[in-house]
Amino acid sequence: MNSRSARARSVLSVLAMAFSALLIALTLNATPARAGDDPAAEQFVTKLSLDAIKIISDKTNSKAQKEQGFYTLFTQNADVPKIAAFCLGQYVRLPDDQQKQQYLKLFTDFVVKIYVTRLSGYTDQTITVTGSQLKGKNVLVMSQINFTDGRPPVKVTWWLLKKPDGYKIFDVNVVGVWLAQEQRASFASVISNNRGQFQPLLDTLNKQIADAEQGKLPPTEAAVPAN
Amino acid sequence: MPRQGAWSKGLSNCMVAALALLTAACATRPDPTNVAAVHSYEEANDPIEPLNRYFFELNNFLDMIVLKPLATWYAGVLPDFAQTGVRNFLNNLKTPVVLANDMLQDDWDGAGTTLTRFGANTTAGVLGLGDPATGWGYPRHDNDFGITLGKYGVSEGPYLYLPVLGPKPPRDLVGTGVDFAFDPLTYIYWNGPYTVPVIRMALGAVSYRATNAATIDSIEATSVDYYASIRSLYRQNRRSAVEGDKPADVNTLPDIDNLDLDAPEQTPAAPQ
Repeated sequence: MNSRSARARSVLSVLAMAFSALLIALTLNATPARAGDDPAAEQFVTKLSLDAIKIISDKTNSKAQKEQGFYTLFTQNADVPKIAAFCLGQYVRLPDDQQKQQYLKLFTDFVVKIYVTRLSGYTDQTITVTGSQLKGKNVLVMSQINFTDGRPPVKVTWWLLKKPDGYKIFDVNVVGVWLAQEQRASFASVISNNRGQFQPLLDTLNKQIADAEQGKLPPTEAAVPAN
Repeated sequence: MPRQGAWSKGLSNCMVAALALLTAACATRPDPTNVAAVHSYEEANDPIEPLNRYFFELNNFLDMIVLKPLATWYAGVLPDFAQTGVRNFLNNLKTPVVLANDMLQDDWDGAGTTLTRFGANTTAGVLGLGDPATGWGYPRHDNDFGITLGKYGVSEGPYLYLPVLGPKPPRDLVGTGVDFAFDPLTYIYWNGPYTVPVIRMALGAVSYRATNAATIDSIEATSVDYYASIRSLYRQNRRSAVEGDKPADVNTLPDIDNLDLDAPEQTPAAPQ
């Protein structure tokens, strides 16, 4: 009788162990694999966005200081020549060497001034990186900006280029809108509406930068439309 | 007889004028041998750009003299909670249209959320003025028949910008008409006075303009070409709405390896 109950107990314990192992296996399988192809890129985005929020949120910073901070962040972490080339679309071969140098400088100043204005509402927010995808030199990092004032979170996707010395931003998608693509539509339109001449684009960029310097650009709370 | 002759002459003059306007309003197609230019032209897909720009300027003018002052006054006079109440009320009225499109898109979770929101906000939210449903885990989402057509694979068509209505490419124009038919209020006020539908439309426009004043002003002030920016933002926004929550896919990114200001070899397609 004793040996039978001992055998029964051992069978039960084996069954219990098997069941536990099965549960653990099922749990492991049921846990969705986080789409984190490139943890280093995710860290890059987390650090970069925290730095950007810090610059924009710092109330002791003057507008010029914010622009200087954003300029350093942008030029160090973005592939500026490639973005500038992308924004010219079909007209990328149009400028001569002198115009190229002028354009690159104006483009950098324009982006810094415009996005300091457009991002001025993203203060005291938190960012959560939710995953990444890697293919060749291209990395997409998915993230979400959470607002503290009850506004719904905003999805932001970062398109990074993997370089030998780290990562560079190429484009950013905010709620479905690629920012460089929006600029490309505008830039190409200015050139095509001026009989394919490059100079009017440089003039327009100059004017926008001057407007920004004279404080003609309105600050915005956050450039995400609400219903 | 002479009167008939005058009529037909007038009519033919009108037709010639209309033809001339349409011809003048057409954007010039690029040289077919210039592949990059043709690609860019097709991506913009804006064959009547001059006419669209004309209406865009007209709407900006109307915005400047009517909508913006009204919205500024509205935002200044009404306290925040009242503005939120108006917005909630108008959103709640849109429920049948959103629900019909959720169902047509086979999005039963979305339809459940829409229905739950309507029940909760109409009762606990006092006729839709409040939005307790969002706090209970049923956040608002928008939907329309233009998105439904997009999900069925219908392409947007060439860009079209209309007076008052704004950007309405053919797919979204048809969508607006069908959504009008989905709305029960259309039939309730079919033979009645237009007061209620007109007030609803005007209030919707003023409320939207007031809510997004900072964003709209910022885009206008920071755009190199406001018209082209709005066209791009509208297109991208609609494409994103049709794709829904589908995350970006690294496999669909265009090849930009050789893209450089000094050694350009190609014009990459826009990222999807």
